[in-house]
Amino acid sequence: MAAYIQARNVNLTFRPPNRAPVRALGNFDIDVAEGEFVSIVGPSGCGKSTFLNILLGLIKPDSGDILMHGKKLSGPGTDRAMVFQDFGLLPWRTVEHNIELGLELKKVPAAKRRAIAARLSALVGLAGFEHHYPHELSGGMKQRVGLARALATDPDVLLMDEPFAALDAQTRDLMQVELLRVWREAKKTVLFVTHQIDEAIYLSDRVMVMSKRPGRAKKTFAIDLPRPREYEMRVTPQFNELKLEIWNTLKDEIVV
Amino acid sequence: MAELQADFAVTAAADAAAPARRLWRRLEPTALGAGGIVGLLLVWQFLPDLVPMKAGTKLFFTVPSDIAGTLWRMFATGSIWAPLGVSAGAFAIGLGLAILAGLPLGILLGRSNVLNAMFDPFITAFNATPRLVFLPLLLLWFGLGLWSKVAIVFLGALFPLLINTYEGVRNADKLLINVVRSFGAGEWDIARLVVVPNALPFIIVGLRLAIGRAVLGVVVAEFFGAQDGLGVVMVRAASEFKVDVVFAGLIVFAVLSLVMTGLVKLIEDRMSRWRPQQVSGD
Ligand SMILES: Nc1ncnc2c1ncn2[C@@H]1O[C@H](COP(=O)(O)OP(=O)(O)OP(=O)(O)O)[C@@H](O)[C@H]1O
Ligand SMILES: [Mg+2]
Repeated sequence: MAAYIQARNVNLTFRPPNRAPVRALGNFDIDVAEGEFVSIVGPSGCGKSTFLNILLGLIKPDSGDILMHGKKLSGPGTDRAMVFQDFGLLPWRTVEHNIELGLELKKVPAAKRRAIAARLSALVGLAGFEHHYPHELSGGMKQRVGLARALATDPDVLLMDEPFAALDAQTRDLMQVELLRVWREAKKTVLFVTHQIDEAIYLSDRVMVMSKRPGRAKKTFAIDLPRPREYEMRVTPQFNELKLEIWNTLKDEIVV
Repeated sequence: MAELQADFAVTAAADAAAPARRLWRRLEPTALGAGGIVGLLLVWQFLPDLVPMKAGTKLFFTVPSDIAGTLWRMFATGSIWAPLGVSAGAFAIGLGLAILAGLPLGILLGRSNVLNAMFDPFITAFNATPRLVFLPLLLLWFGLGLWSKVAIVFLGALFPLLINTYEGVRNADKLLINVVRSFGAGEWDIARLVVVPNALPFIIVGLRLAIGRAVLGVVVAEFFGAQDGLGVVMVRAASEFKVDVVFAGLIVFAVLSLVMTGLVKLIEDRMSRWRPQQVSGD
């Protein structure tokens, strides 16, 4: 399969006023095939969120080429949606209206928006909370609103920035299963950032390990576990071997 | 055993008194405030009986009951409506224009660094100058009628609205702007979906200040130039030593300001339902 998302030699340095510049990405490369599920793991601050923001069209890289479906990336588009690491919910909107945000901007009629929001809040386990405001939700619930909002516009590409980090372990497991189902049924391409190696292996076709800042692709692992993935897979020798290999690649990059 | 029972009795009594105490705690600030005002009015009313006054002093003095009577007469005969209408008209038109100009301008300046750099010197200079010094010029340009008053009200109300809106817009959450941009929002959508809701508390503060400045503008214009309006009535009354009429005018202005500020509070409460409410720890 030809690469659906292709990034070559992406460089980005943040230059905050009155502060030392931070080189976030240094010659970062990635290829993602259409319909592929790719996870990125890497030390904190290595530029994972930065790269997702570049793909989303919010940040322009200093140099490098990014192609999507063979076309040069230019600005945000409804073919992509992000689940933000810090949720990014509008505090003055209820759960329902937060989920509807992207649909509203796409000028979807109100009745249809409402129906989609209702279906998705049920999907992420927020039925009954449609009329709550973000400050009335727990961290995990907020994160699920962010997930529902990203799914609402039915994008081809889902960019997920530690989308399950605020969830408790049990909800996380359930959400992983749901995500795999949505991914399989809707044939989406997913780029998934996480700190949990288990999660990355369980979900992905491939797992990329990034170097410490300035972030670049250090090594990519193909995950040849059969699909659909079963929960029991996590205790197989094959799974644990992968986990160890990835950990050994990652641990040299972690500086404490 | 007996001691225990006594304890229960005390608790029960306390429980019975609890609702009354809760009610009092809710009413206490209002009751104390009202009590203060009533006390002050009483002292004022009986001051002439308590303190000996010379005839000359008495000429400039009045008591609450006289003021109340005068107010009543002004409304009963309807003599207040014409001047009040003139003042209120200037207030409403001037404030309305200030809102129509101040909000969009504040948003534009807050969102555009270029525009901001261009206009900032003017705004800073204008804001540092007391607007009332423009009164002679405005009277010259717009005459002694409605429009000079509207102009001074507009100038007074514009800057608090403009500057507060600007500050609120600057304060907008970058993450939220990025979120709506990622869903395809343009500048107009960003303003509508993030910037304005985020700036609302600032805008409300600006509106409250603007109302004060607008009332001040009306009063000063009517004291020093205009030929019609409640302020003019007050100045004439003062020159004829009708102190009760002056006070009556003052009270009408004060009540109008209070009503307007109350309306703003209502709008504010309606708009901030999404904000975390304080948890009452009873
Ligand atoms: N807007 C910004 N201005 C300045 N520096 C920034 C900005 N955003 C990110 N950085 C810096 O760029 C580097 C990469 O940040 P990024 O958020 O991409 O890290 P990350 O890999 O997502 O980390 P984490 O796993 O902790 O979320 C960090 O050192 C950060 O301080
Ligand atoms: Mg991050």
